[in-house]
Amino acid sequence: MRDSIYLAWRYLRHHRTKTLLLVLSLSVFLGLPLIMRAMSHATQQSLLSRAEATPLLLGKKGSSLDLVVETLYFQLKGAEPITKADVDALQATGLALGIPIRTGLMARGFPLVGTSLDYFPFRKLRMTEGRGLAMMGECILGAEAAEALGLGPGDALLTSPSTLFDLAGVYPLKLHVVGVLEPSYGPDDAAVFVDLRTAWVAEGMGHGHQDLSSAGPDVVLKRKEGTVTANAKLVQYNEITESNVDSFHFHGDPSSYPVTAAIVVPHDEKSGVLLRGRFVDAETRQLVRPAQVVDSLNKQIFRFERVLRIVVWTVGLATAVMFVLVMVLSWRLRAEELRTMKRLGCSRWKAAQIMGSEIALMVGASVLLAGVFGIVMAQYGETWLQTLILRGS
Amino acid sequence: MGYIRQPVISLRDVRFEYPHGGFSLSVAELVVPSGTRAAAIGPSGSGKTTLLNLISGIERPGLGEVSTAGMRVDRLSPAARRSFRITTIGFVFQEFLLLEYLDVLDNILYPYRLHPELRLDASVRSRARQLASDLGLAELLARRPSELSQGERQRVAIARALVTAPSLILADEPTGNLDPATKQQALDLLFEQCEARSTTLLMVTHDHGLLDQFAQIVDVEALGPAEA
Repeated sequence: MRDSIYLAWRYLRHHRTKTLLLVLSLSVFLGLPLIMRAMSHATQQSLLSRAEATPLLLGKKGSSLDLVVETLYFQLKGAEPITKADVDALQATGLALGIPIRTGLMARGFPLVGTSLDYFPFRKLRMTEGRGLAMMGECILGAEAAEALGLGPGDALLTSPSTLFDLAGVYPLKLHVVGVLEPSYGPDDAAVFVDLRTAWVAEGMGHGHQDLSSAGPDVVLKRKEGTVTANAKLVQYNEITESNVDSFHFHGDPSSYPVTAAIVVPHDEKSGVLLRGRFVDAETRQLVRPAQVVDSLNKQIFRFERVLRIVVWTVGLATAVMFVLVMVLSWRLRAEELRTMKRLGCSRWKAAQIMGSEIALMVGASVLLAGVFGIVMAQYGETWLQTLILRGS
Repeated sequence: MGYIRQPVISLRDVRFEYPHGGFSLSVAELVVPSGTRAAAIGPSGSGKTTLLNLISGIERPGLGEVSTAGMRVDRLSPAARRSFRITTIGFVFQEFLLLEYLDVLDNILYPYRLHPELRLDASVRSRARQLASDLGLAELLARRPSELSQGERQRVAIARALVTAPSLILADEPTGNLDPATKQQALDLLFEQCEARSTTLLMVTHDHGLLDQFAQIVDVEALGPAEA
């Protein structure tokens, strides 16, 4: 047997391009259905577990899927916002805790999430470095974001401008990193968390500038009945520090400011039922159960996966046929070699053993490759597929 | 005092026909004594290769006795004939029939990879290297057949035939693809090695200019009535 394997190995090594192509084709044939199944199962579980950990979501009436995806996974942008007043009103019912979520901006490629301090214990997020949010202008990084950006407490990062070519638009806000979260192996790992008011400042709804009461005439254009009009020389702050934090303010009523959604944590089951009842006929708001929404998404994925599985098996079958064809043609081309073996005294069994060893080595290598691919996909595929599904949904 | 050498090849009253007809070979009697250098001649289609196939047990006669190296090969089962062939007979072919995916050393050792009765150990490897050295291949052991000249390839084929220390070498026009200078060189090496090992050689050839170098000439046409 050792000799058969040796001859098979030498043959395959000599025809390495053909062998490599066949091994790759076979590994796709063997690995893809298994990997797809495992990954989609893991992704469905992962999506569902986060949704199940979120009792209710309050948001603007519209696509419940968009609302869930944007608020739970920070992936989509564009869900119609509710207002801070809606969250306050919810709190005022005394039936639930409302945790506001404001998404939409990015900071160096990672989603900026404005929320309240309640978010961290609710998601069971613990700090691995630094401390929690204490004042405006501070941020906490998810583990993956911190690693990718190479930042930690004491560092700073800028928010990404939402309107790059609008000079009169909102300028990036410099955020001070005060803490890094422990990995939670979910969307929180790739997020930058700030206080809700900081998120509004980053969006340009609040701002800070030099004190106008002491500003000179080169800055002030006009003073009239407590209203001061300044020109462009007025120094606007692009970071919030202890010395300038008091100058930051919001024009208008902050309770009318936007919140993407609010995570609603009912105090008990009865409170949850009561709350859901109140929103059954609401015209502009909806209270959704994320688990239900994700479950229906999973059903869609499953349906899609079934179609994909048929496609994969068809491709697999074609690959298998091609493999057999290549092997048969290869043996035909090697008829002279087989004749020589026979003339020298080699048995048919031995010849079959050599050919079988070639197949076994290729199948073995393919299984190995599919296994390695599977391990890599198990490591990174879930996040990748989750992102793909959520971004594509 | 003289002694009688045992025949290595002995055919008596042999009649062979291919299953689908069209060709038959008859041999009334053929004896090739041990250690003899014999040439088989005859026009194309006279049955030279068939004769070699009968002697080596690749084909089995319908009638008659075929005895090779003291073994009645016509009585052996197909598996026993294969086993007998690879352990007792060395083959040299006109087309060399070397394997491109093996280097020279592995090509020489090829028979050892094909049969469990032949054990490939350190002594065999050492013998193969010595044989390669004797045939002027010592520096070429790591090369592939495509990297060799025609003459070098035939020397590898000769080494492969000799490596199992067979008692009989059957060579089917081994110089047919070689130029005259290389041809004589290859023959000299083959004769030299067979002589050194007292190995019997039966060589098919069309080249009548070579016949004076053989102790026995077997005219296949004269062995018996061949019918087309």
